[in-house]
Amino acid sequence: MIAIESLRWRNLTIDALDIGPGVTTIIGPNGSGKTSFLRICAGITVPDQGTVRIDNLTPRETRIGWVNEFPDRNILFARVTDEIASSLRFHRTISGSIIGEEVRACAESVGILHLLTRTVRELSGGEKVLVSLAAALVNRPKVLVLDEYDSHLDARTGEKIDRAIRASGSRYVIRCTQHMDTAMSSDHLLFFDSGGVTHSGRPGDIFPSLKGTAWYPAAWECGA
Amino acid sequence: MIITLKDARITRDSWSLTAAGTFDQGIHLISGDVGSGKSTLALVMAGLFPVSGGCIVKEGISSCMLSLQFPELHITGRTIAEECASWGTRPEDILVTTGLTGREETSPFYLSRGELKRFHLACILAKDYDLLLLDEPFSSLDCEEKARLCSTLERRSRGITILFTHEQDILPRVVRVWEIYDGRLTDCGRPPDAFRHWHHLPVSVRKLIALGSVPDNISRQDLREAACRIQG
Repeated sequence: MIAIESLRWRNLTIDALDIGPGVTTIIGPNGSGKTSFLRICAGITVPDQGTVRIDNLTPRETRIGWVNEFPDRNILFARVTDEIASSLRFHRTISGSIIGEEVRACAESVGILHLLTRTVRELSGGEKVLVSLAAALVNRPKVLVLDEYDSHLDARTGEKIDRAIRASGSRYVIRCTQHMDTAMSSDHLLFFDSGGVTHSGRPGDIFPSLKGTAWYPAAWECGA
Repeated sequence: MIITLKDARITRDSWSLTAAGTFDQGIHLISGDVGSGKSTLALVMAGLFPVSGGCIVKEGISSCMLSLQFPELHITGRTIAEECASWGTRPEDILVTTGLTGREETSPFYLSRGELKRFHLACILAKDYDLLLLDEPFSSLDCEEKARLCSTLERRSRGITILFTHEQDILPRVVRVWEIYDGRLTDCGRPPDAFRHWHHLPVSVRKLIALGSVPDNISRQDLREAACRIQG
């Protein structure tokens, strides 16, 4: 369980929130605190007050995978293969041949085997997101944190990535999306507004209360 | 006012794209998989990337603007006020419409992702370009802002607007649908006829068609009306 208590950071205020295993999706307006919350869960930001405990450990004591919408801000290496392999080379004592196998397997799971010999500079925005996702997954994170990773992905690639995320073995996936049809497939849904959690529950329980708003999934419009 | 792609060939290393077709006034949507070349095609249509074969002919187009996928690539001002001035717009107008009043002296790089995209689009849409090319304009915007952008684009009374986008949930009414498929830009036609040939048909439209109701177009309003026809 991820247990959040008395959290305070900028406009973000969460008194108590529990997140169980599985895929948790955060939705809500720009500026509502979604990215701040994800950064805290990933251990990138330390809050002014409060705690986040992931199975009783802090985020910085936990193996985390992080992907944001603008992968250029996180990508370190020029070659795709080096970028995906980086966390294994930095943090784990593994032979080069095994790293190569793991990089290929991970690239295959997100459909980018054909990009392994390319440089990051040559890639499209969506392809860079896929490289970042592979770089996050290859380290087999316990918590996978994805901040609007899908805003540069087409629907079919998004579905493929969803399957790869589900199959990754990450105990917790916490993601933010502006695609409500993607959010529908989550185990748990959080709606953030003005720095707080206004809805928490299963998508099937929350989305009916958002009918008539832009947040209602297109696929559910008028029962379609 | 039209832009015509005459077997324009775009190549980059081993990748290539061939594009043919005529874009007239109204909103056009170009879809395509990740890495299919949407952004490169936008650069080509803006005249910022060369074709290796064929040509592009613009008739009656005296002004053109390309909004890049990542808005930070456009920034030249140190502050929001300077950035507004660089676009020839008045900060007081832009800041009110984007909810950024009082932040004139803030660096654009200090804005959140959604704020920066909203601000950037407001600067662009403050002027009336003959040819407006928008690369992933919906990325970073929340659902309400996406809907607001659709309304703004639909209010453009003249000019050619071309959306290069993955967006499927919240879209404006369009005059024509295009897609990049198998290395070629394909004209799928006008909605609803375009739905028969469109590989990237939005899931919600596909569901409605399966239920026996074909939406007139791809906007939320069109989807609601089609769904209501099912319900009677």
